[in-house]
Amino acid sequence: MSVIEISNLTKLYGNSRGISDVSFNVEEGEIFGFIGPNGAGKSTTIRTLLSLIYPTSGSAKIFGKDVVKYAPEIKRDIGYLPSEVFYYDNMKVIDLLKYSASFYKKDCTRRIKELSEILELDLNRKIEDLSLGNKKKVGIVQGLLHEPKLIILDEPTSGLDPLMQQKFFDLLEKENKKGVTILFSSHILSEVQRLCDRVAIIKEGKIVQVDRISTLKENNYKKFKIETKTEVDFRAFDVAGVNQIEIKANTISFIFRGNINSILKKISEIEIANLWIEEPTLEEIFMHFYKKEE
Amino acid sequence: MNMFLHELKAYRNSTIIWSLGLIAIVVLFLSLYPSFSRDAEEFMKVLEGFPEELRKAIGLSFETLATLLGFFSYSFLYIKLSGAVQAMNLGLSIISKETRDKTADFLLTKPVTRTQVITSKLFAALTSLVFTNLAFLASVMVMASFVKTEDFSEQALLMVSVTLLFIQLIFLSLGIMIAVLIPRIKSVISISLGTVFTFFILGMISSSTADKGLRYLTPFNYFDNQYIIRTLEYEGEFIFIGISIIFTAVLASYWIYGKKDVHSV
Repeated sequence: MSVIEISNLTKLYGNSRGISDVSFNVEEGEIFGFIGPNGAGKSTTIRTLLSLIYPTSGSAKIFGKDVVKYAPEIKRDIGYLPSEVFYYDNMKVIDLLKYSASFYKKDCTRRIKELSEILELDLNRKIEDLSLGNKKKVGIVQGLLHEPKLIILDEPTSGLDPLMQQKFFDLLEKENKKGVTILFSSHILSEVQRLCDRVAIIKEGKIVQVDRISTLKENNYKKFKIETKTEVDFRAFDVAGVNQIEIKANTISFIFRGNINSILKKISEIEIANLWIEEPTLEEIFMHFYKKEE
Repeated sequence: MNMFLHELKAYRNSTIIWSLGLIAIVVLFLSLYPSFSRDAEEFMKVLEGFPEELRKAIGLSFETLATLLGFFSYSFLYIKLSGAVQAMNLGLSIISKETRDKTADFLLTKPVTRTQVITSKLFAALTSLVFTNLAFLASVMVMASFVKTEDFSEQALLMVSVTLLFIQLIFLSLGIMIAVLIPRIKSVISISLGTVFTFFILGMISSSTADKGLRYLTPFNYFDNQYIIRTLEYEGEFIFIGISIIFTAVLASYWIYGKKDVHSV
């Protein structure tokens, strides 16, 4: 069963671009990644799903119900965490969470306690005194306290240190095991790769590709940067899988996709001064996507 | 109900401060009355030197100024002014703070309709204004009985005082409508002071000239205190206009708020 069905969703903001003709489904129980660079339309799509903004054309359904028509009903079972969280500054954390819980017709006290213990969140502090990371924790508790069936996360990891990020991902995975569906929007490929089953890639308001993450992983992209001691003939790297090769004096950089052993053998043949192997940024992968299309 | 209580709590302090402020104005003005009425004739002579237009503009009326009701009506002009600022502020801020403080995402991703959000905020604002008015009315009645030099019509005093709430409701509904219309309000006080003072000055102009048309434009002049004191009645025409403004503004607010996009920060 599809928890989210988006069909031909278009949102225009006057002259500036929103999203156009976005369609994809999120199935029950999956963690669905939604990736794209900033301004690609991730938030626009998500805000339409939450009926914070209304579509220009097209429609979306959550739990089989139209998101505009049945918004309040649907939202009972949605937990939402935006990239930047803002709450009523003069409230204490516990009061904010209680206020948040008061919108759902269930007792969330136990859950608030449980979540805040996992995240080491001090419930008695005022919101305005919290650091960015701690505010984010309030956001996480706030989004999960009513045990939603669908969790929508819009670039949720900003402001969380790696340790907290880990705890947060563990939490999400635990929820997912209970059958909760998660829509995870991000511009960081690695976190999407780690967590998600499938991804939709959006660029300039349009869906470029919807794919299983395992397929993307097979397309194992790595970014290489090599500094050599002597000038090297770059033709040495003219092998299958090497893309976007760039040479500046003694440094060579390129994106590689394929068997990592073969390229390492190549590198071992030359005298190198330094070597960096990094995850390529999403944009770099996108360039690859677009090159393929042309 | 939870949103209503939340808003009520959020505006508790401001309501108390405004109520105390209005009480202070009442106490200050009415405590001047005994000494004023003693020397009423002297004052009148001084006031006669003022141009007639000015006297009319600031609500001075020779025939009644020496009476408690007349004196109160005069001071009521300034009470109306503060009351209007309070109501307009409240209406503007109770809606616009969600965008200004970026909490709209929090509120509107909860399982509530936008109609419920406006209704809760509207009723919280109403409650706050009713509380202010009860405090104001009580202080007027108590002070009047302290400073009176002769008997006066309590009904007339009450009828004049109650118009404060009515004027406040007009400004509250205008405030809410403006807050819904303008995407992001940076400073509530500048808009509310600007609007209220524009209407106030219009009201003064309308009072000093005999122009009847102008009177329709400013809620400050929908209630003619002299008329109320004389007849113990309100003017139905202006009650109708006032109620129409309130209904139109509130309905428009519901409609616009229900349709508008809530943009991210």
